[in-house]
Amino acid sequence: MPKCIIDGREIEFTPGETIIQVAERSGIKIPYFCWHPGLSVVAQCRMCAVEVEKMPKLQTACSTAATDGMVVNTKSARTQQNQKSVMEFLLINHPLDCPICDKSGECDLQDNSFGYGDAYSRYTEERRTYVDLDMGPVIKKNMNRCIHCTRCIRFGEEVAGIHEMVALKRGNNTEISTIDGRPLETDYAGNYADICPTGSLTVKDFRFKKRVWYLKKTPTVCEGCSKGCNMEIHQDNNEIYRCVPRENVKINKYWLCDEGRFNFQYIHDTSRSVDPSINKNGVWESTDWGSSIDAAKNALVGKKVTVLVGSDLTQEEAQLLQEFLPKHLPAAEVYHFGTPGVLSAQDDAPADRILKRKSKTANLHGLEKLGFKPFEKLSAGTQSVLVVRGGKAHLPELKNVEMVGIGVFLKDHAQHFSVILPGAAFAEKSGTVVNFEGQEQKFKRAILPPGQCKPLSEILMMWMNRKTASGAA
Amino acid sequence: MSNHETLFIQHFSEESRPLEYYLKKMGGYTASKKAFGMSQDDVIGEVKKSNLRGRGGAGFPTGMKWGFIPKQSAKPKYLVCNADESEPGTFKDRDIMRYIPHLLIEGMVIGGYAIGSHQGYIYIRGEYTREAKLLEQAIDEAYQNGYLGKNIQGSGFDFDLTVHRGAGAYICGEETALLNSLEGKRGEPRVKPPFPAQAGAFGGPTIVNNVETLASVPFIVNQGGEWFSKLGKLEKSGGTRLFGVSGHVKKPGLYELPAGGVTLRQLIFDHCGGILGDKKLKAVIPGGSSAPVLTADEIDVVFDIEPLMKIGTMLGSAGVVVVSEDYCVVKLLTRITKFYAHESCGQCTPCREGCQWMEDILERIEHGQGREQDLAMLLDIANNINGRTLCALGDAAAGPVMSFVKKFRADFEAHIRGGKCPNA
Repeated sequence: MPKCIIDGREIEFTPGETIIQVAERSGIKIPYFCWHPGLSVVAQCRMCAVEVEKMPKLQTACSTAATDGMVVNTKSARTQQNQKSVMEFLLINHPLDCPICDKSGECDLQDNSFGYGDAYSRYTEERRTYVDLDMGPVIKKNMNRCIHCTRCIRFGEEVAGIHEMVALKRGNNTEISTIDGRPLETDYAGNYADICPTGSLTVKDFRFKKRVWYLKKTPTVCEGCSKGCNMEIHQDNNEIYRCVPRENVKINKYWLCDEGRFNFQYIHDTSRSVDPSINKNGVWESTDWGSSIDAAKNALVGKKVTVLVGSDLTQEEAQLLQEFLPKHLPAAEVYHFGTPGVLSAQDDAPADRILKRKSKTANLHGLEKLGFKPFEKLSAGTQSVLVVRGGKAHLPELKNVEMVGIGVFLKDHAQHFSVILPGAAFAEKSGTVVNFEGQEQKFKRAILPPGQCKPLSEILMMWMNRKTASGAA
Repeated sequence: MSNHETLFIQHFSEESRPLEYYLKKMGGYTASKKAFGMSQDDVIGEVKKSNLRGRGGAGFPTGMKWGFIPKQSAKPKYLVCNADESEPGTFKDRDIMRYIPHLLIEGMVIGGYAIGSHQGYIYIRGEYTREAKLLEQAIDEAYQNGYLGKNIQGSGFDFDLTVHRGAGAYICGEETALLNSLEGKRGEPRVKPPFPAQAGAFGGPTIVNNVETLASVPFIVNQGGEWFSKLGKLEKSGGTRLFGVSGHVKKPGLYELPAGGVTLRQLIFDHCGGILGDKKLKAVIPGGSSAPVLTADEIDVVFDIEPLMKIGTMLGSAGVVVVSEDYCVVKLLTRITKFYAHESCGQCTPCREGCQWMEDILERIEHGQGREQDLAMLLDIANNINGRTLCALGDAAAGPVMSFVKKFRADFEAHIRGGKCPNA
């Protein structure tokens, strides 16, 4: 394998790798703005220029392929002088409004300024300013903060497959905008904010809600579809503020769709049932766990029962049910459910050319692997239905049966039910899901469940331990 | 005009435009006929021997450039003529196109044959509306008479030629920005590699040559590379060159002289009649406005690529701007810098931010609001742009600032200290 020398370290590389790639994976930090591992190389911010022996000019590490025997110096006086100079150029027109900018704390411009820039500015001319147009519901633009890295333009063209972000005018007046000032159309718009190296593009939903340094980050897997995109939940004080993509080159690369990104919002929905409750002639009554479990048993035990298991549950939860149901509802028919029109794994297909898949639950493929069969319709004579779901499986419309729910239900969902035993949403539990390719992925609990919501294991345990009036378990 | 025979200028008149003139008086389309009888390598070999160097500005040996084109290519190859003549002070290609368009067409046919391309484009500066029209008329004539299109002159070689008009951006004279613009994209320089010879227009191997370069090719094929090479007076610089002289000289205009055949002093004082009003010479910009400026003491230099490079400037597009003693060099540099700030595409940080910054500082100095530290800062900014951008526009903006401030520092200081232009 060919080798190059970066800062005195001899490093093997695969032909075709650029200096920045070799350095990144070797833990050698070369600062950059316009380069992004998931986008084409444009070498225009000039921040990553490094000294390469035998080359008279500084070379941009992002666009220069490593060659055998190449000697690179990322810390030479010339390299550092260039970094300082690029920082000066980038900051002369930047508003430096970090105290009120949402990007502050996770801003490449801020970090690199701290790391490579000068605290003093020589600039005394008037600053360049722009007037911003609205970019639709997802993204807020602040062009004054922009450093013209064009990552957003390239993301639109190369990843989202839509030519909607463009550079208008030229030179010092270059403005990054949408075509004709139209709102963004892509349903991957959140990524524009993720890849923006400054606070020029921020997510409206997150704006001014939290300084990022207060956020605790939990690696998780998106439950929005069967793709299994890796993401992070960012929470503080048990409240989720946002979800952002987490790199997984094999599944979602660096991206996340807006549907998945904003899916968490139902978790904090004020209409979510967070207490065990019983529906008394259309009026919901919060009770204690014991009374609700009694009511659930009354509705289910000894009846002709169908159990619908949401394919938004984890493998662990599904296996728990596979042990629980034969003992406690032995006659029940058990099916999985999740997405209208996607009955089984065979129906699951890509929903677009990027990430989304048709199955709008995360674990359809896992449940089928465990042997669950798809639900089509209730068999004749069914008296009661037990629905166990996370927050995603789409509830089928069932008539003339008594319904009991375990899991996550909003008030709208619950109207046809007689008992709700509130459970944990994906962010409130740990577990494993299996994506469309059969890839098992574990995720961790990010926050505690609200109210009296409990994990499925605890609810089933209470069921087993509850002695009913008749003594039957 | 000196007594040597010129290749171009003797034909610069309205009468030379029609095909008939070109055929009768210039031996038109005999060179392409001759080329079709040669192998592609032999044509390239002849151009190599001719020491023809790119006339657009960089002075790269044309034959060597053609040699970079891969013989086999899955994608179509293209020959593109860079007719985006936009460097301030440059106005030579325009006359070739408007007076002897067929010479360019024939040059392109030969070039296309040599590199194995069947499609040529002439990317012409947007402001050259009349020239674009004249070129199209000439191309029509050539098609009608079998000098373009299928099976040219019975050779079996096909070559189509299309005129593509620019939209007014100086940066589209940079070859990769030109290719982007040609493809309908934003006119911005590309990252190199890949170089156009590997992946240029529409991803195909592409050669981009200047108008004057391509128009020299028929002479080379007809009279031989060696003959052409000997027209030039320096070893590695063949042929004659068109010099556009403007500014404060008695006889501004186009001059055609052997490459390396005169000094800058001879050009200004012998050929152009000296300085207007017999004033003193203050400064000369030798190769289009991006070339670092020369003082009156520096003009005893042979006016060609290497000698100019040795004294820290460049021949560029050979557009000479002559400045007399009573013209304000601060004003001149401010105007030049304003041009580059306006024409920067905005991709690279140093050029986008730095050119405007330099312009702002220069505007202040010109208007008497300069500060003592401005000159050091200007030099520093220029130094931070120079050599640190994707294309040469950054260097083009930095070169004038560095040379003007260094060589005419007293003029700048007079503006700063006096609070106004001393000449005003």
